[in-house]
This record gives sequence, structure tokens and C-alpha cells, in this order.
Amino acid sequence: MAPEQSPPGARIRGLTVVYRTPAGELPAVSGVDLDLAPGTITGVVGESGSGKSTLALALLNAVQPPGRIAAGSVEIDGLGDVVALGGEGLRRARGRHVGYVFQAAQNSLNPLKTVGKQVLDLGRSHGVEDVRGLLADARDLLGRMGLDGARVLDSYQHELSGGMRQRVGIMLALVLNARLVVLDEPTTALDMITQATILRIVREVHAERGLTTLVITHDLGVVAEVADRLAVMYGGRVAEQGPTREVLAGPRHPYTRGLLGAIPRLVGDIGEAHALPGRPPTLADIPADGCVFRERCPLRMDVCETGRPPVVVSGSRSAACHAVRDDDGDRPAVAAATGEDQA
Amino acid sequence: MSATIVPEAEAGAAAAIRRNFWRGVWRVMRRKPSRMAGALILAVFALMGILGPMLYPDPLPRDTSALYASPSLRHPFGTDFEGTDVLALVVTGTRYVLLTAVVTAVITVVVGAGVGLFAGFRRGRWDTVLMRFTDMKLTIPGLPLLLVLSTVWKFTAAVEMGLVLGLLGWGGVARAVRSQTLSLRERGFIEAARGLGLSTTHIVGRELLPGMAPYIAMNALIAVTGAVYAQVGLFFLGVLPFEANNWGVMLNLAVFGGGALTTTAALPYLLAPLLAILLLTLGIVLVVDAMDEIFNPRLREE
Amino acid sequence: MIGGIGITKTFRQRGGVLGAREVPALRGVDFAIPKGGAVSFIGESGCGKTTLGRIIAGLETCDSGEIVIDDVAMSSLSHRRRQPYFRRVQLIHQDPYSALNPTRTIHQALAAPLALRARQTGRPRSWADERARELLGLVGLDPGYVLPRYPHQLSGGMRQRVVIARALTVDPEVLVADEAVSMIDVSLRLGILALLKDLRERLGVSVLFITHDVATARYIGTDGELYVIYRGQVVERGPVETVISAPVHPYTQALLSAIPVLHGLESPGEQRVVPVEASGEHPDGCLFAPRCPFRTERCERERPALGRDGGMPQEHACFHPERRSVVALPVSRR
Repeated sequence: MAPEQSPPGARIRGLTVVYRTPAGELPAVSGVDLDLAPGTITGVVGESGSGKSTLALALLNAVQPPGRIAAGSVEIDGLGDVVALGGEGLRRARGRHVGYVFQAAQNSLNPLKTVGKQVLDLGRSHGVEDVRGLLADARDLLGRMGLDGARVLDSYQHELSGGMRQRVGIMLALVLNARLVVLDEPTTALDMITQATILRIVREVHAERGLTTLVITHDLGVVAEVADRLAVMYGGRVAEQGPTREVLAGPRHPYTRGLLGAIPRLVGDIGEAHALPGRPPTLADIPADGCVFRERCPLRMDVCETGRPPVVVSGSRSAACHAVRDDDGDRPAVAAATGEDQA
Repeated sequence: MSATIVPEAEAGAAAAIRRNFWRGVWRVMRRKPSRMAGALILAVFALMGILGPMLYPDPLPRDTSALYASPSLRHPFGTDFEGTDVLALVVTGTRYVLLTAVVTAVITVVVGAGVGLFAGFRRGRWDTVLMRFTDMKLTIPGLPLLLVLSTVWKFTAAVEMGLVLGLLGWGGVARAVRSQTLSLRERGFIEAARGLGLSTTHIVGRELLPGMAPYIAMNALIAVTGAVYAQVGLFFLGVLPFEANNWGVMLNLAVFGGGALTTTAALPYLLAPLLAILLLTLGIVLVVDAMDEIFNPRLREE
Repeated sequence: MIGGIGITKTFRQRGGVLGAREVPALRGVDFAIPKGGAVSFIGESGCGKTTLGRIIAGLETCDSGEIVIDDVAMSSLSHRRRQPYFRRVQLIHQDPYSALNPTRTIHQALAAPLALRARQTGRPRSWADERARELLGLVGLDPGYVLPRYPHQLSGGMRQRVVIARALTVDPEVLVADEAVSMIDVSLRLGILALLKDLRERLGVSVLFITHDVATARYIGTDGELYVIYRGQVVERGPVETVISAPVHPYTQALLSAIPVLHGLESPGEQRVVPVEASGEHPDGCLFAPRCPFRTERCERERPALGRDGGMPQEHACFHPERRSVVALPVSRR
């Protein structure tokens, strides 16, 4: 590995992923622009049907039929446009260049093979010659994450707890020295304390190995804990993105505001928490024109029916909403209207 | 059981659901032409089974001047060793074959599903006893037993034949239904039904059974093919008397009497019943494909 | 009023060649669910909270201890006579996908228990249909839309509402909600929680809320009681707000410390507790001692019982109770 090399960045431009259904091709991800700055942790937050997992797959050009990438590009430093890549080159890029920790990594290990054997399989399929070194790396990584590396390598999946399996998943993603790592729902189905441990490990390993990390999750809390930048997805589009702290402190998009307001907190007036009306769209009923969030939006206007909201950029933040003005430092239109709505 | 407590409005709703079900079945069948073809084949065979014997005089007329005749307009599949039209033999033989098969399927499914459901739902001692019994039954080799049975029993009635085949064949279904029941009964909705105090009859009949319907229906159809093969095989081997008009008897006579394997004269006589078996199996295979979608509301309504 | 005394349950795990291993799931738990009240069981998976909920709902039995419903001890009744009592406790499953039969419409799902109810109470047959519509309205669904549909045609949130409506068909006194929102989309969770809270207020049903997420427990009722369970033992118990704002048991503190902080909106608690990696077991000692950063020699020798020592407002099972502020506090926005 060459830690002195700077970690790779990635630039997603105009990415559209469609799924073929009886009702025609429907977009799960539609015109998404997203930058993964080198050395940062980016968090993508969304509910079911927001397209966040499809986005993660598209990053590796791994969308399975009936889905396909219909438009756009995914530029990764040192790899080029992944969308144009195919076959063997793509296979080698996965694992070597881009590490992927699967959703429910707790259950994605082979139950019939020890962890060590799975590391060897991984090495073999990527033509690693120094298998001893590979195993030593795996052991070190597991040790770094607070596990007894040698013992874990000798264990089968059922001998490990959920938190341990998740760490094994992270190890498998990193053991080939990938510098760009995608974590899909890294803490779902884990307990609070285990989740906190995993998130701490993600942060530390990210810093130590000089990675560029993408975390996909439905949980704003997870992103708030680990991510430098945050992108909120809804209905296959990015609703809002920016530095995590700034977005949480002053959300501009009404969906981000609603989502934040729907999380019950431990202190303060619990009555302040409000559920969002309606429900998130499924692939079949994402509106084709206009704003995808309008059905649930307190700020809905006539223009939301017809016009796709422009992406309003100000500084390092952007939001895609008709109600957000580009000159605002601090969410005037949104704040006023939402305040009324809750009163 | 629920018939006594179903209110009027609900009865109307139930009828609506039934109507929707048949509409769904139609939609599923139309999705693939192969399914319609399968259904058509089965319908033709069913008609042959019901009406076949009425179309021809009994006994079938013999044309002694045309033994082992070649296919012609008058005899599309030629004639047999005594000049009887082969097509007529096939058509009139359908009733025995199908009746046996249907009786077998019904017994296999009813006994198999019943034992499986009961054992799986009750668990404990009932389960152990019933499953030991099933295992014992599964170890009985079917064909030798049939050979032995045929020496004492003549199987002139199709129903008797079906009864024996059915009683020999339900073990596999019982095992499979039991394991499905065991996994289904841990599902939330079964637990909820018990928590709500619903009766066991309701839970087994209304909650468990519909979930297994595709599986049971598939097994019923496969049991039909199994029964056809088994009885035709028995008749072909000649262990059963020739009294019944049967496809298996035709095969036997074509091969051992007509020498269909060595000369061409009896070839149509051999091929006709084989073709019938082939078509029937094909029809079933094509229709089985639709079972999953018919009984699963999600696939049906799509 | 439903309560339990000394509920104990041990699972026998089939392990390898050497035979069964015993895993204690509950070690003598006492609880009381007051009428119309809110009680929450908090803990990690495997701590026994789900088993306890199932025992309370009558879906499992305990090895020793007693469930008491309206002053009647359940162990004194036959299985058959116990059923009407346990029917008053309805379990809301975690998974709204498996809680509804995929082969039956919502109408069918509600009609069966309502028909039974109508027969039991001598109501006319038409009542069941009306009641189904009424209940669906109560849980915030449009009966006309929902009734003829199959479960797969509804969203997760709608399904969970149907499950709640179905539980209400038998007029229960207690709803046991076991992780009832963990499989539901984030933006819809609060709606389900609000519904449970609303049912408490409007129907006077008690809610037993089983979760690993303390904040959701708070939403069901700030007037409720919190039970923190660790490996089958209640380690802290008290009013929701007290336990959250000033927890005294190190396990409760670790649990609360682990809740993600919304940086930018909140600042982390000053005395966050991070448990140490477990090392060894103390067969007679405190169950949490191996992971406890504050353990002393006494903790490894003796097991503390739930009590009110140390002048704390809540009950706890710790030899060294100390209030720590571990919960994230909002950055002064207002």
C-alpha cells in the first residue's frame, strides 16, 4: 500500500439508473450529481425507494438487470469513468480499487468457509501472490478493530456476533488496499452500543488508512456521527447536500427539515417532533415531472407540479427546491412557512 | 365453520373476493400462451375422459379385413391386431387412466396435506407418531408391492387402482407439508391469530392452508402424472389382466403382440398411446408453471 | 392491571456433541403495567426483553415466577381458562410484513377476530363490518381503500397500522409493541408512535413498549416508566425523564452514550460512558462487571439486586450508583 499517495476522489455526474418494469423503464436514480472529495467521509441518507442503494451499486457499475445505468458518468481517480468500464477491468476494480461493505454484511459471509479461507478466495480471485502477507494484513486489520485476528480468521460465520461480522465485512473490503470504500447500511440490525463501536472504527480506520468513504444509510444519526459531508436523497434525486454540521444546523430543503423534525430526541419538548405526512414514493409512483417531494411538502407551490426544482448552490451547500432562494445565507422562505405549518 | 357467523355484508365481500380470484386466474393464464395451451390440452383430455366412451359403440367395432392397418383417413392411427381403430382405443381408454390419476391425486393431497398439517401444527407426540408412520410408509417399495397386490386383486375398477396408488403415494407430500407448516406457524400472522383467540380450525384452514395452496396444487398435478405412469407401467408389464381398456394394455399388445419394436406394422399402434401420455404430461407441466402465480396474491394481482 | 413477579426463563441451546447449554434469558424480573400507563423495556438484542414481552402476551411460558392479571395468578389456571386473560394483551410484531397473512385481504384479516368478538358479545352480524371500518379510521387509514387490498399492496407504515387495528378488534387492555417501528421508514415512524400514544389517551390502553431506542420510548409517554434490562436482569428502573436525564447504572449510561449525536444541533454529553471489551465472566458477580469501566473488586464477587440504595430517585442494581450526564444536549438554538 502507498499511504503517501492521496486517496482517490470520485465525481458522479448526471447519473440516471432505470429499472425495467411492466410499466416501462422507471428511474430509481435520476440525474444525480455528487462529489466524493478525496479523504472525506460522505454520508448519503434516504428512506426506502430513495435510490441510495442503487447509487452505491452504480458507483461500481454493479447495477443488476432489470436495472441499467441509462445516463451519466462516475469518474473515479485512477480508474476513469466506471460506467464505460466492463468485464475483467471492472471485476479487478472492485475489491482492488473500490471496497464494498454490503448491506447486512452480518449475513453476507459464506457460512461454510472460515473467514481466513474467504480472505484467501478473495486474494486468489484478484491474483494476489503473497497470500501470507494478505492473511497478515487481514489479521492486523481485525486486530486494529479490536478483535483477536487469528481467532476470527479461524472462525465460521455462526461463531461471530453481529458486530464482529460487520468488522469482518469491513476487513474484507479493505484487505486488498482499496482506498475508496462504500459502506451500505453499516449498522442496520446492530445494537446501539455495537453501532457506536462500529462507527468509531469506521472513523478511525478511515483516518489511519487515508480513505475516501461513502456511507449509505437511512439513519440521520449515523451520518451525523461519521460523515463530513451529507447528501439527502429522496425519490431518486439529491434533495440537499453540504457539510454535515451545516446541513443539520440549518437544513434548507423541506424534506431535510421534516426528516430532522421527525426524530424523537432524548431531551427537550418531545411534542416538537412531528411525523411527515404521506409516505415515501415507490419506484412505480415517483412523479415524472416536477418535484418528487411535493406530495408531502408544506411549501408546495404551483411550479412544483411542473418544473423540476433547480439545484440552488450557495458556497459548499446546495438544495433542489423551488422555495429555496440562491442568495439566502439562512433559509428564509423555508423557515417562515414551516413555522406556520407546525403552529 | 365461519359460514355460520359470516354477516350478509361479509358474504357479499367474500363473493367479490372469489370473483377477483377467478379474474386473477384468467390474467395469470393469459400471461403466457404456453399456459393456455396446457390448459387446452388438459381440457381436451378431460372431455375425452368424460365423453370418450359415449362416442363409440361398446364393444368397439372390429374390421377383421384390416388388421394392423396403416394410418388412413378412416383410421388416423391405424388399427390393432383385431382391426379395432387405435384412435377409438385411445379415446375410450382415457377414462380409466384419468379416473385413476384423479383419485390418486385427491388421496395423495388430502391424506398428505392432512397428515402434514396436523403433525406440523400439533407438534410433540402427534408429530413424532405420524412422522414415524410416514417414514415407515416411505420405505415401502411401491412397485414390488403393487406386483404382489396385483396377484390377489384384479383392479378392474379405476377407482380401486387410484385408491391403491394414492395410499402408496402420500408420504412425500406429508413430509413436505409438515416442514412448511412448521416454518409457517412461527410467522407473525399465525402467532397473532392465536393471540386473538381464533379457533384452530380457522388457523389451519384459513391462515395456513392458503399459503401452501400453490405447493399442494403443484403436487396434485404431479401426482396425476405419477399415477398415469404407474398404472400404464403396470399394464404394460402385463401384471394386470387385459380386461380394462387402457393405454398400458395397448402398449403391451403393441410391443409383445404386434412386435412394434421390430416391425413397422404395429408402430402407429404403439405410438398413439405414447403420444397421449406425452401430451397429457406436457399439458400438466405447462399448467404447473402457473400455480405459483395463481395462489400468490402478489404475483396474481400484478 | 397486569404484573409479574420473579419471571425466570432459561433456554436450552442444543450445543455440539456435549449436549445442551443453558442460556438464562430472564433472571427473576418483576414488573407492573398500570392501567392506561406506558412502560418501556430497553436493552440490547438478546437481553430478554422480547422474551418477556412474549411471556406477557401469553405466547410463551416462564420457568418460574408468576404473571398476575387482575389479581388472578395465571399459573393457577388451566391453559384454556388462561386464554381470555391473555387475549387482553395483544402483541404488535416488529415485522409488519410477516404479521399479516399475504394470502388474505385486510378485510378478511379483520373480519375473523371481529366475527368471533360479535359472537362472544352477542352483537348482530352487521356489527363486525362497521367495527372494522371504525377501527381502521381510528388508526388513521381509509377503510374504503384498505379493506379490499392484500398486505403487499400497502406500505410498511400502513401495514403496521392494520396490525394495530387488528389487535384492537378484541378490545385489549395492553398493547405490547415489540420494536414496532424499527422496520418502518424513518419519516413514518413517528406517525406510528403518535398513534400508540393517541390510543393510550383515547382508549385508555396501556402500552408496553419494547425497544433498543430510548428516544422512541420517550415519545410514547414522558410520564411512563423505563426498565433497562441487561442479560435478563432489570438493572435500572424509574420514570422515563429521570432515567434519561440522570441515569445511575453504568449500563444505562453506556446505552444512552451510544445514541448518535446530531452534531451541529447537539453537543455530546460530557460524561459519556464507553463500555470496555468484555473480559471473563464473574459467575456470582454483577452481570455488567466485565464490561463496566467503573467496576470494583466487590462487583466481581457479589451481584447487586434492584433497589433504591444511594438516595437515588430510581431503582437500580449497582453498588456504585452515580449520576452522569451522558445524553447529548441541544446546542442553544433558542
